[in-house]
Amino acid sequence: MAALPELGLVRSDELDDVLAAVGYDYAPYAGGTELVPAMGLGLRRPAAIVDLKRVEALKGIGVDVAAGSVTIGAAVTHRRLSEHPGVREHLPTLAAAASRVGNARVRSTGTVGGNLCFAEPRSDLGCVLVALGATAEVRSAGGARTLSVDELIVGGFETSLAENELLTAVTVPFEPTGMSYWKLQSYERPTLGVALVVSANQWQVTVGAATERPTRAVIAAGDDAGLADFVDGLEFSDDMTGPPAYKRSVLRAYLEQSLGAAL
Amino acid sequence: MTAPAATSTVIRCRINGHGREMLVPVRLTVAELLRDRLGLTGTKVSCEMQVCGVCTVLVDGNPVSSCTTLACDLDGAEVLTVEGLARGRELHPVQEAFMDANALQCGFCTPGFIMMAVALLDGHPHADPTEVREWMDGNLCRCTGYEPIETAVTVAASRMGDQ
Repeated sequence: MAALPELGLVRSDELDDVLAAVGYDYAPYAGGTELVPAMGLGLRRPAAIVDLKRVEALKGIGVDVAAGSVTIGAAVTHRRLSEHPGVREHLPTLAAAASRVGNARVRSTGTVGGNLCFAEPRSDLGCVLVALGATAEVRSAGGARTLSVDELIVGGFETSLAENELLTAVTVPFEPTGMSYWKLQSYERPTLGVALVVSANQWQVTVGAATERPTRAVIAAGDDAGLADFVDGLEFSDDMTGPPAYKRSVLRAYLEQSLGAAL
Repeated sequence: MTAPAATSTVIRCRINGHGREMLVPVRLTVAELLRDRLGLTGTKVSCEMQVCGVCTVLVDGNPVSSCTTLACDLDGAEVLTVEGLARGRELHPVQEAFMDANALQCGFCTPGFIMMAVALLDGHPHADPTEVREWMDGNLCRCTGYEPIETAVTVAASRMGDQ
């Protein structure tokens, strides 16, 4: 690969400075695990990178027991997320998923915000955060807004962020009982990810990685026909990890096994 | 804000124990800095996608892909490459274990595997076989000599854990 093209650097400790700079040509930059390879391939050509790693406000993890939620700064790495005691206690499925993202190098530099905002469909965190009903906190020089992670992820490599907006944190409700996350993976990224929240009267199923964006359904426990309709209605991607029929078949088998359903 | 963004920056860091102060272009990768400017060619480059692991170096103890990490991020950091492991003629225990277990064939992937093993064992001196696999599975050996590599890391873990 040829050297990267000329690139500028904006670096500050202050969130306001970062927000003033971020735009289409001024790309937010933290772990660089997605952005630098994309620049190397010529898929992304920003004039400058805006370094987020010195902004402490983006690196916190806060447990709010009264609210029953954990707020995770956008520049928190996968490794820190997976090792944080509060995350392991209140969001064990998310911590476990983060501990298996990519490889040890990606985990030590890649961040939660980068994972969500690059919106690579084959993401574990996107699927788990949608299943948990997490919200995204978004800032720009002009203001702030909150939306669900479900609304943040629009499609493959596409979010609902405006060019001057920055994801600053996600707030995640404590994990409900009966939650699990399973994935099928051969290479660095999952082929299929499934987050389940199972209770006596309800199946909540979130499918990720094999679809353009995480897709969640809430189905009455025992409604095998409803579950089959959900599986049949999903649009699976066709890529090197397998054709749609294969992914649908794996999902169906996994749900039959884990929910005792007949599909 | 917003001044035109500078396209080069001064970094101060330590590389294999030596203090360095350098003006680097923002677009320069750590691998380019190490190999082309400092002559530290033990670090290899292959996939440039964070997949193969041959470019692994440690930055503040964390394993990173030097081919896709920008040199401007080294400001204030402690960097360790494969050249920094031995003390004179005395090899690092991980290097010794790779020799003892014959854990290399063509050798191209070896520096990356060794640096990943050092990162693992520095933080988890009693790493169990599952942890060894979880940490090492992001490094590829095209000769497919994985079993001796796994043995070497396990042997190094037991030797270092005993110390």
